[in-house]
Amino acid sequence: MTPQLDEYVEAEIQRLLAETGSVAEQGITIARREHLIVLGGEVESAQRRDEICRQINQHFPDVEIACDIGIVRAQAPTEVEEIS
Amino acid sequence: MIRIAAVGDVHVDKDVVGRYRPALEQLPGVADALLIAGDLTRHGTVEEARCMAQEFGDLGVPVVVVLGNHDHQSDQQDAVTGVLQDAGLVVLEGEGTVLELNGHTLGIAGAKGFGGGFAGACASKFGEREMKNFVGTTEAIAERLGAALRGLECDALVALTHYAPVPETLTGEPLEIYPFLGSYLLGQAIDSAPTALALHGHAHHGSERGRTPGGVPVRNVAHPVIKQAYNVYQLLSDEVDAGLVSI
Ligand SMILES: [Fe+2]
Ligand SMILES: [Fe+2]
Repeated sequence: MTPQLDEYVEAEIQRLLAETGSVAEQGITIARREHLIVLGGEVESAQRRDEICRQINQHFPDVEIACDIGIVRAQAPTEVEEIS
Repeated sequence: MIRIAAVGDVHVDKDVVGRYRPALEQLPGVADALLIAGDLTRHGTVEEARCMAQEFGDLGVPVVVVLGNHDHQSDQQDAVTGVLQDAGLVVLEGEGTVLELNGHTLGIAGAKGFGGGFAGACASKFGEREMKNFVGTTEAIAERLGAALRGLECDALVALTHYAPVPETLTGEPLEIYPFLGSYLLGQAIDSAPTALALHGHAHHGSERGRTPGGVPVRNVAHPVIKQAYNVYQLLSDEVDAGLVSI
């Protein structure tokens, strides 16, 4: 049976990601497609991105995930902005 | 001239240690101080605070921070503050500090801030006790921030918060959550003093630039917004010198 990807599942996933100590992410976006959810946003490490997918798989084993979460770049800037 | 490096929402835990360091090592050459706009840790444990202190300690420039909501998640904000202070970071909550930089004085007043929303769609101190507490919390924080700003004597004054003082820098976030991202009361506090620049974080999907109703430039420096280790802002310009390209 194809699981229902309704608003309740979306809300539950959002809360899971925020309230699970090993994730604690509020900035993940969830887009529902017909048979899968697409995760977006950016996090600080690859470990955290992988943990997000692991947590969702564990709690919603029937839900297919596409993970488009990026890792925020942390290079030094090359420009300065003058404030006036 | 004073150059301020700024970033927010670095959300450090053990997996993040080392990611910022190469860019941070360059700081003394490009900025006079580093300001961090809260959400220093993933969920506010002492262990994560130690990781934060390791990554952002011993930089060769002063580091001034405020806490964010994530730093309160484990109810250990006092211990987290202690670990950061032991590492030499200045942690502001409703208070100010003055730094001597380049022959100028930079005043920084900081507070975490809180939500409530903005003109046209803001919460009121009315009804249930929980609602009055919510708005009352923001009011109290904003009052302390305003008093701290007005109490500083310096050449350039900067306000540092985690929550947003204006809605413009939230553009990109869902409108429905604006009341959880900031409050106009913070903007009002910033406008009550001759503030030169207001820095905040928290809105990971927001945008970088805005202004308060009183005309103070606002910058959302949340890491996912600026997409680099830190931004550099120049105040009290007398020259544009080498090192970084001016935009
Ligand atoms: Fe954050
Ligand atoms: Fe935050």
